[in-house]
Amino acid sequence: MGPVAADGAKETLETVDGILHLRWQPGAHIQIEDAHLAMAKVNDACGNERRGMLVDMAAVGSVSREARSVWSIPCSASRIALLGKSPVDRVLANFFLGVHIPPCPTKFFTSRSEAMKWLTAGV
Amino acid sequence: MSSGDDADDPRLQQLVEGVVRLAAGDLDARIEPSDLRDDIDAVITGVNLLAEELSYIYSNLEQQVSDRTAMLRQTQAELEQMAKTDDLTGLANRTLLNEQINEAILASTDSGKPPAVLVLDVDSFKAVNDALGHGAGDAVLIEVARRLKRAVRAVDTVARLGGDEFAILIIEATEEEVLNIAHRASAQLQDSVQVGTETVWAMASIGVRIGTPGHPAESLIRDADIAMYQAKAHGRNNIQLFHPDMLDSVRERSRITAELRNAVAGGELALRYQPVVELASGTVIGFEALLRWHHPLRGLIMPDSFIPIAEETGLILELGRWVLHEGVAQLRRWSETEPELTDFCLHINLSAAELLRRDLLEDVRETLARNHVAPPRLVLEITETVLMSKGTAEEQVLGELRDLGVGLQIDDFGTGYSSISYLRTLPADTVKVDRSLIQDMASDPQQQKFVAAILQLIYSAGLKAIVEGIETAEQAILLQTMGCLYGQGYFYDRPLPPEMVLGRLRSLAHRQ
Repeated sequence: MGPVAADGAKETLETVDGILHLRWQPGAHIQIEDAHLAMAKVNDACGNERRGMLVDMAAVGSVSREARSVWSIPCSASRIALLGKSPVDRVLANFFLGVHIPPCPTKFFTSRSEAMKWLTAGV
Repeated sequence: MSSGDDADDPRLQQLVEGVVRLAAGDLDARIEPSDLRDDIDAVITGVNLLAEELSYIYSNLEQQVSDRTAMLRQTQAELEQMAKTDDLTGLANRTLLNEQINEAILASTDSGKPPAVLVLDVDSFKAVNDALGHGAGDAVLIEVARRLKRAVRAVDTVARLGGDEFAILIIEATEEEVLNIAHRASAQLQDSVQVGTETVWAMASIGVRIGTPGHPAESLIRDADIAMYQAKAHGRNNIQLFHPDMLDSVRERSRITAELRNAVAGGELALRYQPVVELASGTVIGFEALLRWHHPLRGLIMPDSFIPIAEETGLILELGRWVLHEGVAQLRRWSETEPELTDFCLHINLSAAELLRRDLLEDVRETLARNHVAPPRLVLEITETVLMSKGTAEEQVLGELRDLGVGLQIDDFGTGYSSISYLRTLPADTVKVDRSLIQDMASDPQQQKFVAAILQLIYSAGLKAIVEGIETAEQAILLQTMGCLYGQGYFYDRPLPPEMVLGRLRSLAHRQ
């Protein structure tokens, strides 16, 4: 499956080797409706199966509190690896992990290969 | 990751400015991070996120406080509603009625029409409760509430004061309108109430108090209550409009009640003994103990003036206990003085309320034993109406008194509504024929026949008859010719002080 990006969407979603890849556009300011839209796409892509998901959040502009809280709702993802590279990404990721309770094992990575290893280990 | 010379970085100044604004309480203040996404941007992002969290926590807290406050207000309103509503009928209770009367009084200063209050007491409600149980009683009260609501206008308030007592607050009405509503309420209660398979009536005695400007709320209810009691005294199921004279009689009654309470302890009560004689020989067969009150200021007060009040207030129990103790003790004192003169009985009146006194049986037994008086020497006189109630607690007590061996006598026979057939099964051995039956006997041949028939009826039932109120020789002769054996009255003796009783027993008959 190739990247899925609806008109005006702030993210793309694709499945590679059974792992979902959610990539937020650089500089995107993620609001609650963006989060809902992305989650619907994730659930849709998974069907009845639960899959690991890599979220590429490097260069995300901001994530609103309400948008973060959407990801506390259980979805079809069985594990979520948050991938960033800058100190800003780390702060954003940890606010999500610290303030909200993720519905499945969720971890922040700065290395894509480490993230993929962790996701694959959980399959 | 670093941008190099941090000290010169303008973002640090922006960060300081942002933190100052946040500290000043502007939780919407945000600091714009750069595209470098370095450590300084991470700190800026962290501060932004913390500000967002703080803002969320604040607004969440405010929301929670406002939700809880609303919940508390709602609960308080519900509690107030509960505290002011009668559970059974859903009507206003006394508290709410008082509030509404006060509001109506305030509002009436402009209109010049002060509120009026009706107090309604369901007649004979106790009988419904006693006979059919409290469930039936409650059903009757609910029906009464429903009917009263039909009788009033939308602006009026129907309340339940407690028990079988209701009240209606009427506002902005003329005297004529108030009385119309009172009559409508009374009319609503004339129809019977069906409780299961039973049919009962729940008519009411109604007191009406029409307020005057400046009239306080509490006296409106009190006055309506007094008028309601007047309605009860006027034979129930009627309406009485309050008049200030009613207050005087209430004050008189409460004065008597207070003084009577002290009379027992203060030794102001005394017994007089009226002989019961065998008409043919004039021989005394017994004495009826009659209560007298020697008031320190008002002098001698006869029982007619205080017994009804004592019965209403429950003081009758204390009076009855005193009469029993004093009367039986007097029997013992006479026996101690004249041991051979024991061939007579002591008659003591027992009120209906006393029959339900829990310790009556034990008290009678102990009092007789303590004074070494044989039970048959005590005759308890009970009014006809009490004896007529079959299958009641009263009937059971009477049976137990009989088992104890004391004599039972029907008092005031001919004044109640005796069932003739029941006369045969009465738990009594003597019947006292009321004085009213022989009053005009001498001049009225028809009445003579009637008295003769009553005496015959009593004998046929296997009972002894004593006629009271014999005042003339003519009455005494007539009664003897009718075969009446026993009697009492001024013609034979007036009630005697205890010290004259033995002399009377020793003397021959005064009159024959």
